[in-house]
Parts: sequence; C-alpha cells; structure tokens
Amino acid sequence: MNKFLGNKTAILLFTLPTILLFSVIVMWPTLQVFYRSLYDWNGLTEGTFIGLDNYKRLFEDRLFYTSLKNGIIFAAVIAVLQIGIGTVLALTISNKMVRGRKFLRISYFIPVVLSVTVVCQLWLAMYNGEYGLINKVFEALGISYRQDWLSNGDTAIYAVAVVNAWQNMGYHFALLLAAANSIPEQYLEAAKIDGAEKWKAHWKVTIPLMSETYKFCLVLAITGGLNAFANMQIMTGGGPGTDTYTLTYMMYRSAFRVGEYGYGTTAAAFLIIECLIVTFAINRLVARERIVY
Amino acid sequence: MKKINKVLSLGLALSLTAAALSACGSNSGNKEAESTAGGSAEGKTKLRIYAQYSDEDTKGYYDYAVAELAKEMPNVELELEIQAQDDGQKLKTYAATGNLPDIFNTGLDLINVFRESNNILQLDEYVDKFGFKDKMLPSALNTLYTEDEHVYAFPYAGNEVILLYYNKELFEQNGVKVPTTLEEMHAAIDAFKAKGITPLSIFAKEKWPDVAFYDIFATRYNPAGISALDKGQAKPSDPGYKQAAQDIVDLVKAGLLPKGATNLNYDQAAALFHEGKAAMFVNGQWEIEASTKALGDKVGYMYYPAPDAASYEANKMAFSGGGNPGGYAVSANTKHKELAAEVASFMALKYAEFKVTKKGSPIVSTKVEKAVEKAYDPLMERLAQDLPNITSTTAFAWGLSNTKFKAAIEDASQALLSGSYTADQFIADLENGMK
Amino acid sequence: MLSKLRKSNPLFQIFLWGYAIVSVYPLIWMVFYSLKDNNEIFVTNPFGFPTQLRFENYVSAISEFNVPQYFLNSVLVTVVTIVGTISLAVMFAYSAARLRWKGKTFAQMYVVIGMFVPVQVVMIPLAILVRDFNLTNTYASLIIPYIAFNLSFSTMVFFGFFRTIPNELEESACLDGANIYQTFFKIMLPLVKPSIATMVIFVFLAAWNEYPIALMLISDEALKTLPLGLQFFQGQFTTDWGAMGAAMTIASLPTVLIYILFSEQVEKAMTVGSAVKG
Repeated sequence: MNKFLGNKTAILLFTLPTILLFSVIVMWPTLQVFYRSLYDWNGLTEGTFIGLDNYKRLFEDRLFYTSLKNGIIFAAVIAVLQIGIGTVLALTISNKMVRGRKFLRISYFIPVVLSVTVVCQLWLAMYNGEYGLINKVFEALGISYRQDWLSNGDTAIYAVAVVNAWQNMGYHFALLLAAANSIPEQYLEAAKIDGAEKWKAHWKVTIPLMSETYKFCLVLAITGGLNAFANMQIMTGGGPGTDTYTLTYMMYRSAFRVGEYGYGTTAAAFLIIECLIVTFAINRLVARERIVY
Repeated sequence: MKKINKVLSLGLALSLTAAALSACGSNSGNKEAESTAGGSAEGKTKLRIYAQYSDEDTKGYYDYAVAELAKEMPNVELELEIQAQDDGQKLKTYAATGNLPDIFNTGLDLINVFRESNNILQLDEYVDKFGFKDKMLPSALNTLYTEDEHVYAFPYAGNEVILLYYNKELFEQNGVKVPTTLEEMHAAIDAFKAKGITPLSIFAKEKWPDVAFYDIFATRYNPAGISALDKGQAKPSDPGYKQAAQDIVDLVKAGLLPKGATNLNYDQAAALFHEGKAAMFVNGQWEIEASTKALGDKVGYMYYPAPDAASYEANKMAFSGGGNPGGYAVSANTKHKELAAEVASFMALKYAEFKVTKKGSPIVSTKVEKAVEKAYDPLMERLAQDLPNITSTTAFAWGLSNTKFKAAIEDASQALLSGSYTADQFIADLENGMK
Repeated sequence: MLSKLRKSNPLFQIFLWGYAIVSVYPLIWMVFYSLKDNNEIFVTNPFGFPTQLRFENYVSAISEFNVPQYFLNSVLVTVVTIVGTISLAVMFAYSAARLRWKGKTFAQMYVVIGMFVPVQVVMIPLAILVRDFNLTNTYASLIIPYIAFNLSFSTMVFFGFFRTIPNELEESACLDGANIYQTFFKIMLPLVKPSIATMVIFVFLAAWNEYPIALMLISDEALKTLPLGLQFFQGQFTTDWGAMGAAMTIASLPTVLIYILFSEQVEKAMTVGSAVKG
C-alpha cells in the first residue's frame, strides 16, 4: 500500500503543476508584499529600507485598529449568517420530500450569480434614507422608526456585512448541500423524522458528518470577511469617514490614495498573517478527526 | 464512470490546447503592439491616450478635440483608453510596468508621484516651443507651473470655484432670508424643515464635495482654508479650523442634510435640488449649466455664510476651490516625445475652446479666440462679474499636494457630515492621518 | 407522503419561500433598472416596474462597446479558467489528501494562502510578472492569474471531500491490480463529482465576474471581457445608471440562464456520487 500511495512519479505529476503555477503567480508577488513592507516606497521608485518602522507605525495608527475591528465584525456577521442560514436551507433542500425543492434550490443561489456591482446597487437603493425600500416597509407596518444604517458610523459596517452575507449565502448553501448529498443514505436518520426531533437528529448526526465542509465554509467566510473590500468600495467608499474601513481598504488607501505603497503592503502583510492564524486555528479546532463515511 | 473519464481527459486536453492557444495569442498580441509602437501604418502615427470618456460631458470634450485634431494633424491617430475611476491605480500600474500611454490626463497627485519616479515628461521646452505660455490666461498661470517651477501637463480646466447654490423660489415662498451668518443659516434650516424641505443637498458619498463643504466654513476663519493646512502653513488644531468643524457639526445636528447624505451620489443629490426638494446645493461652478436647465432663473448662488456679519463682509470674496497644475501630460518613455507633447497641448487647448464656445463657461486655463456658440447662463454672467473681484481661492481636494493630508481630510470631512462625529475627533483624525 | 407535508411547520414554509423570493427579486430588479433613467432609478420609482420602457439603454450599451466580442472573450477566458483550475486542483488535492509524501500538509496550507492575499496589493507585482513573461495584452494574462488565484479555494474544497473517502477503496483497487492513475480516474474522481460540479459553478462565477485584474491588465479592445463594459458609463461626476444597468444585465443574464439550464445536471452530478457509495 505504501508503495502504491507513495508512487513518486504520480505525486510529482499531480502536485507539481499546481505548486509551480501558484508559486510564480501568487506567492512571488506575495513575498514582495512582505519584502516591501520593510520599505518607505511609493510603488514606483527604488524606495528606502526602513526595517520595521512601518509595523511600528501601523500599531500606532488609529485607522489600523478601526480597520481591524471592522474586519472582525464583518467576518463574524457573515460567518454566522451565511453558515447558519446555509445549513438550515441545505438540510431542508437535501430532503427529497420538500415541495418545490428544485425551484427553491435555484433561487437561493441566484444572488451569487449576480455581480457584486448589481447587488450593491440594489442594497444601496434598499438602504436609502429617503426612498429606500426598508423605510417603506417600516412605514407600511406602521412603525415610526426610520433607518439610516448605512450613513451612521456605528451601524454602517453591519449594514454592509449583511449585504455580503446575503449575496454569498448561496455559496455556503451549495457547498453544504453537496456535502449533505454526499452522505450515504444509511446515516440519514434525520430524513425519516419530523418536527423538532428532526433538527435534533441533524444536529447530532448529519452536521458532524459534514464537519469537513464546515471547516472550509468557516475559512471561506472568516478570511473573506477579514479581506472584505468590494462591498465597501461600491457602497460606502470606506465611509462615513473611516467607519467601514477594513485592512484591505486601508491598504488600498495607503497604496493608491496616499501613495505610500510600502505602508500599504504592511497592512496587507498583517492581514495575510492574521488569516493564516485563523485558518490554522480552524484546522486545529474543527474536524480534527478524519471522518470517513 | 467512463463519462467522467472522458470529461476529465477532455479537460486536460483542452487545457493543453488552451495553453497553446494563449501562447499563440501572446505572439499576435505582441506583433500588434510592435506595429503600434513603430507606428507608421499608412503614414499615420498612432498615439495611446488615457482620457475621461464615460459620460455625456466628458465625451463631448473628447470628441470635439479629436475631430479638431483630425483636421489639424491628420497624420496622428489616437487610440483611446478610458480613464477608470480608480484613484490612479491603473496609471500607476502602467507606470510600474513601463507601459504608460503616450498621453494621459492627470491631476497634481499623480504628477508628483510620476515626477519622482521619472515617468512623466517635463514639458518646459515644449511650452517655449509651442508658445503655450502666451496662450495661457494670466490669471490661470498657477495651473501651468508646479511648485518646482516646471511644467508637467498642459492645463485646460482653469480656476474653478465652489458655489453654494440656492433655489430663490423656495426661499421667497417660505419667507426665508438668504443666510449670511450661521445664525441665519440655522433659522433657514428650521424654516425649511418645518415645511418638509431638505435645507441643503450634497453628494457626500464622493469625498471631494465634503472637503469643499468644510473648506467653505474654514475659509471664513482663514481665507487660505485647506490650502494652508496642505502646505503646512496652519495646523488642524488652530482655533479657526476646529471651529469650522464645530460649525458643521452643529448645522448637521440641526438637520441641514437629507437622510443618508453620505451615501448620496451626484445623480441623487442633484435630483433633490433640481426638483425643488432641497433649498441649497454644493457643487463647482460647472453645475450652473445643469441647474439652470432644471430650475431656470430660480437658481442663484450665495456668498458663503460666516460666523458673524463682519466676517461675512470681510471674506465675502474669498472663494473655496481654485485651480491646480494638471491636464494632459506626456509619458517620459514615449517614442514620439515632441509629437505627443504637441498633441497633448492641442487637446488641452481644444478642451478649453469647447468649454468656452459650447459649454457656456469662461473658466478655463487658456485664451479662446473663437466665437461663443452657447451664450452664458444668467448665473454664469453673474459669476463672470464676480471673478475679477475674488480675493482668494483655495483648492479642490484633487488639487491638494500633500497626499497624506488629502486622504485624511477626505475621510474626516465626510465623517463630519454623518452626524455622529465631533470636532475633537475631526482634529485627532487629521493629526493621526498626517503623521 | 402528503400527510407528512401537511404536518410541516407553516412558519418554516413561509421562511423557505420568503427567502426564495428575496433571492430572486434582485434579478427582476436588475432588469427593471436597466430600463429606467437616472431619475426613476433613484427618486421616483426605484423598485417597481419601469413607467416607460427605455430600451435606448440597451442601444447605448450595445453601441458603446462590442458586446459579441466581449462576450466571446468572457466565454473563452472563463472556460479555460474552469478547465485549468479544476484539473490542477483535483489532482493536487488528491495527492495532498491521500498519497503518502512528506510535507503534504504544509503544501496544502501553502496553496491556501492565496485566499488571503488581497488582489489589489499584488496588482503591481502581478502586472510586472505578466510583462516579464511577455503576456501583456493576451488572453493568457487573464487566464493564468485567474487559474492561480482560484486554485486555493478549489484545492481546499477537494481536499476536504477526498478526506471523507474510506481507505479501503484504494486498498481493494490496489489488490485488484489497478495502478494509481486508474484508481484516481476510475474510483476517486466519481466519488468527488458532487464537489466538482459545485466548484465548476464557483470558478465560473469568479472568472466571469472578475473585474479588478481585467481592468488593470487588459487595455486591448479585442481582449476585453464583459465586466469591463461597465467602465463606459461610470463618469467622474455622473453615471448613466440605466445604461450601466443594461450592461450589467447583458453580462449577468446569460450566467443566470446557464445556471438555471445546467442546474439540473449539477443536481444530478451532486447526487450520483452518493448513489455510487450508498
């Protein structure tokens, strides 16, 4: 068996193309990010080596802490919403008895298919304080409260995170559905039960069987959240003020708006390390035991 | 199972072909690039140009200039790349790869970066050669020379200013006095709010109008406004600058702005003003055309309100806004330096010509001799009378040269309009950003 | 079976269908949007059916850029990206998950790093790389980065799925005298088919909708992809939102249609795997 699974030619053939391509196209530029974080550099000139000064400055920069905090909030919101809703919907749809499951399955995935620009424009219209749909709903329900979440510094980050959570829920739904569908029938006690008992069975049996999928759903949601950029760029421009900055946005501001590319790469380098630690922790905590059907 | 096998082997085969295909693609692509650079297909020289071309307004300018170019310099063919709204990211990437277009439209921030990295051609010699300086309006020479007394771009925009527009009819109908002081401004806010009218509309999602709005108030205390901060001649913690922030906080608290102002884009904010739902509006003087179209002679502009009557009178003619070096620049690596410079200067001149003759605006950098085709709107007539009396201008956000300060004031000014921000935070964030 | 359905919680049914409506509405909204003018989009009628169908938005979108050309470019770039990504990722993940070699955990972690790198920060080094490989303004300048950046998540997903497969399968294959390649193609691949089907969709969407890299690396009209059509309408001050909506609809409606058309096959692919195992 060892010889069979230790076939050196096969290992090289299967592994090398990916490692090579990835190293050249992704890792080489990434290494330059780390290298350049030690420089005072505008992106075009030679730059001056300044050791760890950029990191010192980073840890004294108020914007860094705002960005860090927002990244964590963003990651938490999307992880909870996407995986939570994704789980409920995927387990429901995996049951072949559900009426209209084909239509439902397609529908849940639609927001993912649309481009982020479309989705952000839609939600800008929903959140709009004057003409927005959300306030109209409040009005129709006879509630006197009027939201202005996107322009309020305290709520804006949540408002933006919800948009991302809503759009990308479909990814988690699809991954979890594929996982649920891969579980052999004999394990699926939950399918045979109804009501509250059903979810108990899912919680005890089905979900643990899918822990391998939960692992990458978590990594996807959390690192995606820490990395968030496009939603802010389109919806708030990091604003109001700096209230929806994330580390990626801070990097963008430093590198392109301020022209301090070196300092921008410092924020990015911190972000990459942060994500690595999170992924490492998730790998340690979730699905440590290999589950085999 | 066999099917999968087939699919996968097909996949592998496809990816190999694709690799081969893309390799072929690369060859043909290079050939094209070479012919472009060599550039003498049918005796025409092709030049790449990077310019604004994404709305009616900018298309009008570009198309006009290109049509004129075809008449004057038929040996030149321009290959347009549309300027992206990306904080100069694309141009910087081009510069980093040595792939800058021959001619590109640029502002002061990129001039400063490219000057340092030797990506931009110094145009002094061509300014002399083409007599461009003689074509400049004396009042706009500040848009030609940068601080180091050199020329890096042929300007066209001139010294534009920020105007505080208002809807005369709304003020009259509701018996509101056009404010000259902050007190009167507060009175106006109360009066309009009572009638369900938005006092002031601003497209605060973009950050430069927010900076301009702050500058309006800062210039009441120091006519040099944000320019003084930019050049280090004043500190954010100076009393006037802090008070200006406090003035805005107070006005916003009183209900100056529509809900969600910091998420309004131009189209949304302008709609409020154009449809008579907002009494005041902040924008550059180029807004005169659109506002006159929507509101006719109901639109006017007021001098900025000040803390008290005395400072109102004293600083009445101290405007926010102003020109800065910028316009059409030439890549340092172009193969056709002189030709590119000639085309760049020609484009700049034609942009100014289009603005004066067809857009009804006298605010340009260069003299225009051609007859005006679209008469000035009445409001523009009034501004034209005010222009010679302007005592000082400052800068638009895009004309600031200290990029750290620029980014910091952009963010902080927007936060001022959000209603959940204090003058102290404003000062602290500015100082933090300028470190 | 009917009695079962009747027993299901009505509130839960409302949630299921309500969520579906909220998910489909943006599609309809986008089409409405593309037939309105700025005023209607923002002020008078942001959510309803257009008061006047402004097909001129489509006319201006189509006249502004070469839709069929952009479309073909998008198709070519996307298809090659999908095939390349999935082939490489599946092989790598199999090797890292099941073959026996030193450093495979590290290698798997190494490739995942790509998920954490914001593309904006590597844009300039990437552009320099593309130039140094002489790929500037070629399809490959998009395809190769797209494959490389999509590898991270794909390998991670496949890795997870390969890990759930019991060891006995390979053992019996080995005893039957199959070599490692036969085992991979004939036994392992069918088992991860559901995840392949899922990842094809993911990679498809990532490549089809990609904007920042395309914006930075492609300037040749003949090579532009559909998302770049948007840049024709976003001005410095004003934007022709209706025409932009038309451009967005032109770009995303095909993806929705393709998804709906193929979702049946995807669903089948997703279930076959478990049938084989069960």
